[in-house]
Amino acid sequence: MKKFLTVLKREYIQRVRSKMFIVSTIVLPAVMSLFGIVPAIVLSIETPPMRVAVVDQTGKMYSPLTEALYGDADQQTPNVTPLDRRGLQRRFGRFALEQVNITGQPLDEVRASLEQRFQARDLDGYIILPPDFLSNPRAEFVNRNPGDPFSLGSLQAALNRATREQRLIDAKVDSKTRQELLKPVQLQGGKVGTSEQQRDPTGSFALVFVIGFVMYLAILMYGQIILGAVIEEKETRIAEILFSSVRPFTLMMGKLVGVSLVALTQLLIWALAFSAFALYGVNLLASRGISARIPGVPFSHYIYFGLFFLLGYFIYATIYALVGSMVTTAQEGGQLAMPIILILVVSFYLFLPVSRSPDSPFSFWVSMIPFSAPVAMVVRIVTQTPPFWQIALSLLIGFSSVLLIMWIASRIYRVGMLMYGKRASIPEAIRWARQA
Amino acid sequence: MAANETTIKLDRVSKSFGEFTAVRELSLDVRAGRVFGLLGPNGAGKTTTIRMIVNITAPDSGTILLFGRHIDAGLQDRIGYLPEERGLYKKMRIGDQLRFFAEIKNMRGKEVDSKIDEWLARVKLSEWKNKRSMELSKGMQQKIQFITAVIHDPDLLILDEPFSGLDPVNVELLKEIVLDLKRAGKTIIFSTHQMEVAEKICDDICLLNRAQKVFEGSLREIKSSFGRNSIAVRCEGGDGVLDDPSLVSKLVRHADEAQALLAAGADAQTLLKRLIESGAVVGKFEMMEPSLNDIFITKVTEPA
Repeated sequence: MKKFLTVLKREYIQRVRSKMFIVSTIVLPAVMSLFGIVPAIVLSIETPPMRVAVVDQTGKMYSPLTEALYGDADQQTPNVTPLDRRGLQRRFGRFALEQVNITGQPLDEVRASLEQRFQARDLDGYIILPPDFLSNPRAEFVNRNPGDPFSLGSLQAALNRATREQRLIDAKVDSKTRQELLKPVQLQGGKVGTSEQQRDPTGSFALVFVIGFVMYLAILMYGQIILGAVIEEKETRIAEILFSSVRPFTLMMGKLVGVSLVALTQLLIWALAFSAFALYGVNLLASRGISARIPGVPFSHYIYFGLFFLLGYFIYATIYALVGSMVTTAQEGGQLAMPIILILVVSFYLFLPVSRSPDSPFSFWVSMIPFSAPVAMVVRIVTQTPPFWQIALSLLIGFSSVLLIMWIASRIYRVGMLMYGKRASIPEAIRWARQA
Repeated sequence: MAANETTIKLDRVSKSFGEFTAVRELSLDVRAGRVFGLLGPNGAGKTTTIRMIVNITAPDSGTILLFGRHIDAGLQDRIGYLPEERGLYKKMRIGDQLRFFAEIKNMRGKEVDSKIDEWLARVKLSEWKNKRSMELSKGMQQKIQFITAVIHDPDLLILDEPFSGLDPVNVELLKEIVLDLKRAGKTIIFSTHQMEVAEKICDDICLLNRAQKVFEGSLREIKSSFGRNSIAVRCEGGDGVLDDPSLVSKLVRHADEAQALLAAGADAQTLLKRLIESGAVVGKFEMMEPSLNDIFITKVTEPA
């Protein structure tokens, strides 16, 4: 145990003190936030509104259309969050509409004069609504930039709403009934068996997603480092000195846990930074009168999430260690490690079938297999919490597998070293693992 | 530890890797407080033998007793091992590195600090304590590696080719340290194929060839058993006499002298007489013990 701690301590301190660690801890969130901030900045660049002339031959459509474009967003979309609402308004604000007076003019003349203004860049586009537009809703939109799908889309949506409204008016439906008829549907998810306190399953799913994503990130970043750490003693030829002092299993476990603590340290730093940031964001929202809540999940679930996150991390990390025990250089290891990522991705997508039928035999088995358990079991816990024995069994199988894989890896490692740095083929690795 | 006590006892130990037999039926006694030379050509089984002693690999058959006990992980801490394949953590500072190697041998506390400083001073590398090992020359790294084997004050020290690649000044420095450790009662196993070095520091030797023991015993006994049939000669003229196959079986000419191996049945007095009769001016005529190198080559090239 003391030797285990010695190995662990060296691994941890050397890595946490390294420039690599410090730089990556700072740089990664910086890059990530850059990815978040730059699109927001780009999107917020104000462009002058698009000047559109409307030739309304029906004589009824112009005012409902302006209403639909500029009108109270609350009425059209009662369910949008404040951020969306601001975005919508901005989008509608992209148009400057203008009604063209057509009394006593033939359409061709109107069109010619519009075309002239269009050419003179006095207009950015024009719409011609034919007299029978309400029964035969086809219109023409001449536009300087026909490739711009957003303008076309928003205009079409606005026209749609306006037409629907106008048809109802024409059918002599009063405004109260109109509102009733156009009221949007709200479908709310809930969990079977939960009484008054309706849990928020979308929030829980977001959590599952976050757990899966962070696991994926941690494995991608630290898998290679674990591989490198296992190979380090081979490349520096220290392995033989160490093996005369410490059991291979102790050495491997020390390295695995040491590197993992480094990973957790880094994740913790990021999590704290993120929480501080998020807290600031929540306060900001609160000051504008919007309350943002952490999804309502029972406390025991957070413990499960933590345990399954650790399981997910360790089960893949040990595979990297196993690969490291078989190869002599990091490059070789990188190639051999490719399939690991594949298994990880497949396991991650299993959350789809599992969330559809969380208590099916399929879901049961994938939540027992260590590679898919971390995601599958968490999905099951969130949707229809399985009996405790299933959760415990899944954890037991998972963590036993971690130990078993490490034990196999340490045997392959030791025999591989005695074989003078030869890379093991898979059958050889199996033979070495059996050999004392 | 009493003199003549056995530190290591191997009894008919065998080890093979698949088809290949690395060590066959090897029995050895390494006595406490002596320098034991484990000699042999490349691939003779020296390293495998050592790895079994330090518990890196287990023998297929036979028993190994260390300090009178069967080897286990606990005994590993009483051994210092400098393998032929050795290295250092490249980016770790020398001081941290030495502390790690001491702690991995279960050495704790303040003692470690004083030992690190003491040993660095002894190999004249004190000012390098806070440098990373990649900044050190190869020779300096070798000396640091040597410290990793001795820092925890082991009772048994196993050195596999410890001087390879070192300059003569540093060879002398490490050799003195090894002899000091011997005087302090430590048992030292010294594995090499450099016979000149082994000849200077070993008390006992064991020669391995093709997985088997060729002979074992004290260096003095072995040398005397080979007899004094080698003569160092420096003379002007007399070439015809030295080339006479009835007197000299083998003649090796060095820069200013020659080494002559007496032919069977010939004796040194006759050779000297013949040289003087032939009118040669004899500057040196000395009967020599065979060098370990000669014994080694004779034994290893002998048909089995």
